[in-house]
Amino acid sequence: MSVNAARSIDEYLKQLRSALADQDPALIQDALYDAEEYLRAEVAAHPNRSEADVLELIASTYGAPEEVAAAYRDTEVKVKAALKTPAPRAAAAHASGVRRFFGVFMDTRAYTSLFYMLLTLATGIIYFTFVVTGLALSAGLAILVIGIPFFLAFIGMARVLALGEGRLIEATTGERMPRRPVHPGPHAGWLNRISDMLKDLRTWTTLLYLLLMLPLGILYFTIAVTGLTLGLRLALSPLVVVARDFGWLPPGLASNMLEIDGVGYGSPHSFIAALFCMALGIVILALILHAARAIARGHARLAKALLVEPGA
Amino acid sequence: MDDSQARKFQKDLNAGLVALVLLAVLERSTEDLYGYEIAKRLQRANEGEALFKEGTIYPVLRALAAAGLLTSRVVPSYAGPPRRYYRITDEGRTMLGQWSQIWRQTRGFVDRFIEGTDS
Repeated sequence: MSVNAARSIDEYLKQLRSALADQDPALIQDALYDAEEYLRAEVAAHPNRSEADVLELIASTYGAPEEVAAAYRDTEVKVKAALKTPAPRAAAAHASGVRRFFGVFMDTRAYTSLFYMLLTLATGIIYFTFVVTGLALSAGLAILVIGIPFFLAFIGMARVLALGEGRLIEATTGERMPRRPVHPGPHAGWLNRISDMLKDLRTWTTLLYLLLMLPLGILYFTIAVTGLTLGLRLALSPLVVVARDFGWLPPGLASNMLEIDGVGYGSPHSFIAALFCMALGIVILALILHAARAIARGHARLAKALLVEPGA
Repeated sequence: MDDSQARKFQKDLNAGLVALVLLAVLERSTEDLYGYEIAKRLQRANEGEALFKEGTIYPVLRALAAAGLLTSRVVPSYAGPPRRYYRITDEGRTMLGQWSQIWRQTRGFVDRFIEGTDS
């Protein structure tokens, strides 16, 4: 073995982390979590032996850090290949600019990204309210005995929210995010755990992210709704014109529901004009899908920088 | 004897077999199991030199769960960190059936040559 055998759990985890140094931070977090779960259980299962004694056997049971790292690397490659939605971009690389532009309609990722943008208004409000309430109550209760457990529970909840948000981002944008929370580490006193949390940069960046989600959510939601309404209304113009001329307006749908900013449902007046509107609408829809994909990719990077990297 | 070549052969063999063994363990178990428990069950069944390192089962468990063959839930534990318990899904059972079939065929085929029953 190239490195000295680890004598403690922390040392082992450090070696595993450096063996995985070139990997995705989300994968590192998962691997460290699994290893720590195993190692702590193994140490707990041998109460009459010291941590160093148990660690000595680890290389032959759990595996040396390099072996474990290799297993994660291999599995990650395979799983990624198997689970990834085939990216049409690779195939479209040779296609003309026009086909590439409209090819976005075939990309599931664009639709899930748009869905994520619509969702951010709701999640943003929830996260923001949660953080503001939690921080205010923590500060207010700090002088009372229940202040400490309350603060711990608040930070714990924030971490759960961050993990859930990460899963949502991976599902909608494809960016690899952690599948396990950060390991809470060995049991220490409450005061120690609080000071660890306060010193952990990730605690603060997580809260910052949750707060940021409200303004970002408003922005994303507005972009998505505006683009969708405008694009769909224009793209469906011929239908509206035909419906108007033949009096096919569905029951319950008032004519003014088809109005946007003074452009009434009676507009455009001719079918030819409606066809032009439809073409414009389709272009706008393609644009909004492109925008959704780009925004979601950028947002996933932001999420990773604030929710994953500070601790990895 | 060159030990590293033997180990490489074992590793190549394990690539698909670990997933099959994990599905089988979870299928036979009456309760949900977490990573460490599964690792210990395998260790007990293993006489002498371990066929694979226990650290290698975790990423495979995760991959199986991601593929929908297992479901998992996190349960807080008094003894230490929260544990992730795994259970096999119906899809996983179907897959296990297919894989077992393939395994039996492969084993029979290989044995025929190694044991020399085929002439």
